[in-house]
Amino acid sequence: MKIRRHTKIIASVPTASMADIAFLLIIFFMLTTSFSPVKTSVDLPESVERAEVEQNAAIVAITVQNEIVFSDGDNPGFDVNSPEELAPHIQSLVSAMPDKQFVIKADRAVRYASVDAVLDQLRRNGAKNIGLLTEQKAGRRN
Amino acid sequence: MRIHRYRTNADVPTASMADIAFLLIIFFMLTAVYSSTRGLEFAFPKDDPTQRNVQPQEAIHIKITGEGQYVVDRTPMTIEQLAGYVDQKMKQAPDKPVIIHSLPDVPYYSMIDVFDVLRQLQVQNISVPTQTEVERWQFFGYLE
Repeated sequence: MKIRRHTKIIASVPTASMADIAFLLIIFFMLTTSFSPVKTSVDLPESVERAEVEQNAAIVAITVQNEIVFSDGDNPGFDVNSPEELAPHIQSLVSAMPDKQFVIKADRAVRYASVDAVLDQLRRNGAKNIGLLTEQKAGRRN
Repeated sequence: MRIHRYRTNADVPTASMADIAFLLIIFFMLTAVYSSTRGLEFAFPKDDPTQRNVQPQEAIHIKITGEGQYVVDRTPMTIEQLAGYVDQKMKQAPDKPVIIHSLPDVPYYSMIDVFDVLRQLQVQNISVPTQTEVERWQFFGYLE
């Protein structure tokens, strides 16, 4: 006896759901990406203890070549020729918001003198809240 | 005359949608800058005349003389010895101030290493004097 096949199943890949998955991934990447105003790439030092820096903190980036990039946290960063040039920017930020956080994003191999010069300017111009950006170091906590 | 109508299926082209979406994903992944938003925090002392100044003589003085070279209260130490020494001192006097004094040519991460160790030991009173302050203290004979 011959068995008749009535139903023909069309073999197809369900492409409609693929787009759903992809858009979900897009949304995930868009939400988790943090847009940093200073995109200078530096090799940060590592530390075990780390605290979250404030959002909209002003950022001072120092590269190995001793280039200084400054951003007030809201606007894109710009190059600064010497630490002394930071003074008016720091002053205006501190006078508007005394507790403004300043984050130092310095390369791990930079000479301490460069960091010191920036710290000196921050201190002279009334900044009180400082953060030093670091990477997570794998190590045990005491 | 009869006009033949070809029947076309009304379909949204969903296959290409995924292609577009994956292209967008790749774009976002490549342009994303993974920025670190965590680090060590410290506050400069407030300009409060009533606040007692740190007397460098009674503080623990950590001098960073080179990569991984630390002189703590005039004794050369490794980072592990430094941690032990500071921990012991902290047990005696928990609010003892600690001064981190980096020489100008030392790489920045050496100072971060010390800062991190102190933070792990829960040292409350960490002072990072700037070069001008160090010079002033040296002038008055507080620091060698």
